Amino acid sequence: MKKYQLGEFEEYVLLTVGVLYDDAYGVSIKEEIEKRLKRKVSIGALQSALRRMEEKGFLVSELGETTNARGGKRKRYFKITAFGKKALDYNMQTRMELYNQIRDVALQFQLC
Amino acid sequence: MLKRLGQSIFKFYCHPDFQEDILGDLEEYYEHNLGEKGKAYANRKFFLDALLLFRISLLKDNWFTQNIIYTTMVKNNIKVAYRSMMRHKFYSMLNLAGLAISMAACVFIAVYVQDELSYDKHFQNSERIFRVANYLKFANNEFNLPTAPDPMAKTLKEDFPEVVKAGRNRGSASMVIQVGDNYYQQNNITWADQEWMDIFSFDMLRGDRQHLLDEPNTVVLDESTALKFFGDEDPIGKTIRVDGEDDMVVTGVIKDIPENTHFTYHMFISMLNREDSRQNFWLSNNFLTYVELQSPDQKAAFEEKIPEFLLRHMGQQVQQFMGADMKAGLEAGALDVRYFLQPVSEIHLTSDLDFELGETGTIQYVYMFSVIGAFILLIACINFMNMSTARAAIRAKEVGVRKVLGSMRSQLISQFLTESVLSAFIAIILACGIVYLFLPGFNQLTDKSLTNPIFSPDGLWPYLLAATLVVGILAGTYPAFVLSSFKPAKVIKGEIANGKSSYWLRNLLVVIQFATSIFLIIGSILVYSQLDYLQSKDLGFNKDQILVINETQLLGEQLNEFKNELERSSSVQAVSISGYIPATGQLNDFPFLREDSTSPDEAVSTQNWYVDEDYIDVYGFKLLEGRFFNNDLVSDSSAVIVNEAALKRFGYNENPIGKRIKTLGGVVNNESQSFTIIGVVKDFHYQDMTTNIGPQCLFLGNSRGSVSIKFSPEATAEVLALAENTWDKFANGRPFEYSFLDELFQRQFGEQQRVKTIFTLFAVLAITIACLGLFALAAFVTEQRKKEIGIRKVLGASTFTLLNLLFNNFTKLILISAVLAVPFAWWYMEGWLSEYPFRIGLSPLVFVLGTLGVLIVSWITVGYQSLKAARRNPVENLRYE
Repeated sequence: MKKYQLGEFEEYVLLTVGVLYDDAYGVSIKEEIEKRLKRKVSIGALQSALRRMEEKGFLVSELGETTNARGGKRKRYFKITAFGKKALDYNMQTRMELYNQIRDVALQFQLC
Repeated sequence: MLKRLGQSIFKFYCHPDFQEDILGDLEEYYEHNLGEKGKAYANRKFFLDALLLFRISLLKDNWFTQNIIYTTMVKNNIKVAYRSMMRHKFYSMLNLAGLAISMAACVFIAVYVQDELSYDKHFQNSERIFRVANYLKFANNEFNLPTAPDPMAKTLKEDFPEVVKAGRNRGSASMVIQVGDNYYQQNNITWADQEWMDIFSFDMLRGDRQHLLDEPNTVVLDESTALKFFGDEDPIGKTIRVDGEDDMVVTGVIKDIPENTHFTYHMFISMLNREDSRQNFWLSNNFLTYVELQSPDQKAAFEEKIPEFLLRHMGQQVQQFMGADMKAGLEAGALDVRYFLQPVSEIHLTSDLDFELGETGTIQYVYMFSVIGAFILLIACINFMNMSTARAAIRAKEVGVRKVLGSMRSQLISQFLTESVLSAFIAIILACGIVYLFLPGFNQLTDKSLTNPIFSPDGLWPYLLAATLVVGILAGTYPAFVLSSFKPAKVIKGEIANGKSSYWLRNLLVVIQFATSIFLIIGSILVYSQLDYLQSKDLGFNKDQILVINETQLLGEQLNEFKNELERSSSVQAVSISGYIPATGQLNDFPFLREDSTSPDEAVSTQNWYVDEDYIDVYGFKLLEGRFFNNDLVSDSSAVIVNEAALKRFGYNENPIGKRIKTLGGVVNNESQSFTIIGVVKDFHYQDMTTNIGPQCLFLGNSRGSVSIKFSPEATAEVLALAENTWDKFANGRPFEYSFLDELFQRQFGEQQRVKTIFTLFAVLAITIACLGLFALAAFVTEQRKKEIGIRKVLGASTFTLLNLLFNNFTKLILISAVLAVPFAWWYMEGWLSEYPFRIGLSPLVFVLGTLGVLIVSWITVGYQSLKAARRNPVENLRYE
């Protein structure tokens, strides 16, 4: 469904935001994904995915407190929305449905 | 450093909402890198990340992220426009109808103008092709000729390196062509040089472009002629017999020459077949000569070199044949010889020489039509503006409410502009429908054959689209500004009810409309009466009941027998053999001198026609003195009959009979031939009615091109059948070509007829559209004054008084329009009429009639509304409160 359209990278970001719960901001998300998926994530790709998903309504964000770290710049914390959760569920579900449809034979790899 | 640069680049493009936190992230990451990998790496990484953050979703608001058109607003505007149109269906319809009709008229004019401007632009290099034309003056004879002497082309090319190609063609003949056993009457045959074909580089279908007419007895056909002669066969190498004697080989087939070309030819014969093309005679101008220059800019410099060139080549022959020194003659002003170049693409529009090929000099029509088109569109736009402002009272409340609800003035303006642009677009769609519906009529009127002028790839549609937008905006601007300027408080209180401020402007617009209408009506009355005058004017001879048979030279020796056989019939009154038929443009002039003159300066250029003794019986012109020719008198072979104009020029005022005139040769070397005047005919219109009657001489002579038959009234069919049967007896299948003289005459008025139709059409259009507007305006004015009318009626005003009240204003406006239009019409029509040697006077009656006509039509228009209002029961008008 178009409504829940979610790219692969977007899905990881969305999941990570969910995992980090109340500590999901740019750097932490980036580090978390890099740690778990063992792959490099560019800030540009991450940020644009975040804003895109915010616009679609999968995420909301708010600015945190001012601190002395980071040159006095505030962090923007992201939270997953109910709609975002639905999108995740939908994605997982369709994937599982597809997976379950695969007949066992197709997955038995033998040399003929 | 690199970090700062990255920062400022990032700030430059990033949306301000995102800047702080992303920069914070970058900063945190930077510090992390600084600790682990060192400063240089951290800086580099920061800069790179800042650049890579350039993502569409992170950008500032820009051209892409904004909606260029606020679709909701536009949708709403269109919806409101539609509703306000629907609310006053009747007036909207009138408005649209007026706009659509006038736009259709304008589209027609645009189509016409575009086609006129496209003439002769389709040749390759057409901007480098020029025609050599001239202005000649000797004695009291002036010529403006599109032709040049036979050696001109060749010599120009030899003498001037800038002349790339130079070629000639001559004539546009109609001859009988024999193909196998079939005979065809083929018109528009010309003789042309190979180089002439090279210059115009027509599209070839068959044959070798380089070798078309470079040998004698070769012909080139156009596509449709080839199809007519040979059907599907390949015509190359086939032989056709021209005029019953010469066998010629077809060497090429070209595509039909487009209609927007200043010449029309269907068949080309090699110039090598003409003896006269090699005579190297500089004193007669018979060849249409075209040159191709290296560059169009060389024209002026090239023309400057021509006088010297002429002296060099022409001088000797002037000395020899005219006995005068050319240089001295030019300096004394007795002689004037000027040759100049005409750009080929301007010939159709601007050239207006004697003996032009086809209709030219149409630039004044282009101007005239453009002006009329603009006027008609103006009238329709004015209608639109008038209606919109007049309806202001109704829209005022809407404006008030919108303003109270927070509408900006610019939004209101865009609302009203949308309405007018929408109307303009509906109108143009209707207009296109009208155009395609009336295209056949238009083609007939303008003598063109356009099929798809608007939607073809190079059609008018882009211009129309732009024009529609402009018209919509023009017509909508004023009402938009007036309507949007209302103060909401006042409007809602009902203070601005009738838009007094626009009252004057509205009147002014009505005056412009009616001034235009009056001008057009007076114009069409005058064109009409001038044409009527020309058509009914005494020609000096009888043009009715004359049948002309052409190509009779084909009968050869049998021609006299043919004539005798025809004369035997009781319904044939007279038969004459002569190629010279009035009104067919047959011209043959050379100069004569009176007997005692000694200088060629006294030469009179006369029209010299060869006729037989029965000519006067057929044409019935009046012999003032003397007698007509008699075949039995041998002396009549050196006799001449002159017209009054010629007598005047020769100066033989008293007793002309027996006086003699001589040819030019006599002065120079005493080889002159002289002729005795035996009769004087009353001037008759040997050319068309729009040219003056010049000196004319008739000679008894052999001219076997045509036979004219004068027959009894009501025997038309019988005589036609008789002539055809007799012809068939003699002609062995050669085609019978005939015409009636009165029809030939009628055809000459084609151009004037066209002006008349167009003027009338536009006058009717203008007055209709103006009246549509007036009708709607009157309806609104009466609507606004209905309470006043009611109260007046209650107080005892009669219907007549009320009508008077309502008429007064409009009558005044129309009279003011008349005052403006009449002098202009007088001036313009005087100019138009002054081009005619035979013309009507400008009678004031016409002007009064024109004004009165407009007045009456507008009274009827307003009267319907006014009468309805005046007769209505006053209770109905007053009950509301």
